[in-house]
Amino acid sequence: MSDATAAGTIYDLGYQHYDGERLGRANAIRTLVGYSFRSAFGIGRGERSKFVPIALALLCFAPVIIQVGMANADADPSRINFAEQAQFTNLFLVLLAAAQAPELLVVDRQLGVVSLYLSRSLRATDYAFAKLLALVGALLFYTLLPQVILFIGSLFVSGQPWQAFTQHWHTLGPIVVVSLAISCYMASIALALSSLAARKGYASASVIAFFLMLPVLAAIVMSLLPVHSMRYATLGNPIEVLNGFARWAFGIKARVSRFRQAGPTFGVENLYTLLGTIALAVGLLAYRFRRSDI
Amino acid sequence: MPLISAREVTKRYPTVTALDAFTVDLEPGIIGFVGANGAGKSTFIRILLGLLPPTSGRATVLGFDAQEQPLELRKWVGYMPEHDCLPLDVSGTEFVTHMGRMSGLRPSAARERAAEMLRHVGLHEERYRLIGSYSTGMKQRIKLAQSLAHDPRLLLLDEPTNGLDPEGRDEMLGLVERTGRDFGIAVLVTSHLLGEIERVCDTLVAIDAGKLRYCGPVAALTEQTQRLRVEVDDDAERMVERLRSRGLTVDAQGSDLMVGFRDESVFDVVRDVAAELGAPLARVELQRNRLEDLFRATGDIGQQEAAHV
Repeated sequence: MSDATAAGTIYDLGYQHYDGERLGRANAIRTLVGYSFRSAFGIGRGERSKFVPIALALLCFAPVIIQVGMANADADPSRINFAEQAQFTNLFLVLLAAAQAPELLVVDRQLGVVSLYLSRSLRATDYAFAKLLALVGALLFYTLLPQVILFIGSLFVSGQPWQAFTQHWHTLGPIVVVSLAISCYMASIALALSSLAARKGYASASVIAFFLMLPVLAAIVMSLLPVHSMRYATLGNPIEVLNGFARWAFGIKARVSRFRQAGPTFGVENLYTLLGTIALAVGLLAYRFRRSDI
Repeated sequence: MPLISAREVTKRYPTVTALDAFTVDLEPGIIGFVGANGAGKSTFIRILLGLLPPTSGRATVLGFDAQEQPLELRKWVGYMPEHDCLPLDVSGTEFVTHMGRMSGLRPSAARERAAEMLRHVGLHEERYRLIGSYSTGMKQRIKLAQSLAHDPRLLLLDEPTNGLDPEGRDEMLGLVERTGRDFGIAVLVTSHLLGEIERVCDTLVAIDAGKLRYCGPVAALTEQTQRLRVEVDDDAERMVERLRSRGLTVDAQGSDLMVGFRDESVFDVVRDVAAELGAPLARVELQRNRLEDLFRATGDIGQQEAAHV
């Protein structure tokens, strides 16, 4: 035997069979959620896919820093406005959902990766559900985290954080609910629309169109309606529904006066609209992934 | 318990019948599954994985019913699809590790096995490169690596040599053979090229227009279907006559003679006859099997027009 083959055999351990545990469906879903969540931030992927998540993080967190800074400098807690923060970032979140939902869903289908996933211990609806959870999670990073920082920042304005916390802890409720609602709403709509699109570009365009065209349509409808039913048209505007819900949840009176003669602005109705739309979107997503032979 | 068992499996689409009362029992080993494109090979694999419900009939794999227990079944089966199925902006290691975890391995075991499988398919050096930068051959090999990540008991390989150059094909077939023989993993490998996969298989299954045409050991079939191509510049007719009189089957097309190849002695007969006639031999070549030959050997030639391979 020559030296070369002798050296080769040292490293050739042969094939090792795996006798360990084989986890099932729950593990597969968990793994896919984690992996998709990471890839929504561009982690583990190329340089270019990190651009959108980082740029949007800057846009969502900058106002938080500014608000907290100003409130502390002026010792004026009214500088901090949770509903404003939610309203301000909504459009950025639309961009994020429009960019990342197709990354999560359309790319897998275009490249055929989905057929590898479905050959694992995973049902097609599990796959779609995992992608939804991942995107909701990613959006929560941009909705919930800024709000929480804002909340913590607000505690220090008075100089007595603990006392401020005991007084204001109940604000955490609407913070969580509003962040969850925005995240679920955007994620489910973006994924449902992406599940219909053949290409990434179409998917992104349809998500942006949903959030930008519906307000236009709502405005047109509004102009056609009699005064007393005008306010119903606001429910057709996704951004207005989210904003209305945020104001209602944080107990802020709307400054809209246009409809005064038509009755009060909507509060809880916005929540019903949100829930209904989310249910429709999730239903559409599940319907698209009802079979494994996609 | 057979490795794979299909009972009267039928899959009908509105316009075509992809599988027609397909019944087969397969034992572990390297199984070659041949048929023309569109003969029903991929449909069968997708039914075995429980991805596609058959119109009627029942399939079991490793004792699991493909329709009733697909999730349990898939823990033990590796699948390499025919078409593209790779993410592009992920490194080889990351991808195979992820697929191992998706198949039920814990993170540490998945990492370990991913490294091992990448070494097995010869991508150890390239494991940190993005898959998008891989060549076609490397992509096929990483598809194989991901299907092996969880140490399956059965590997379903759908046209693994598709799109590869001759060298790449040989490498891939070598890997398939090593996986089946040295690793002891049962392999079902499909191809539309009979001559290609018969080299590595023990068992051959032939399918045509959704119907089972042959199922048995490769050796028995090779004898039936190998042919010697003899080309003479002159005297072709007398050559045919003489060869037939010596008990050989000859199929003549002008100066091209296709001689049934039973064993090595056929070479001697051809040489002797050519010498007797003084016929100038232009070519003597043992031809690889083609699907048509297989179907001719197993009868029912009438329906073979579709199998131009």
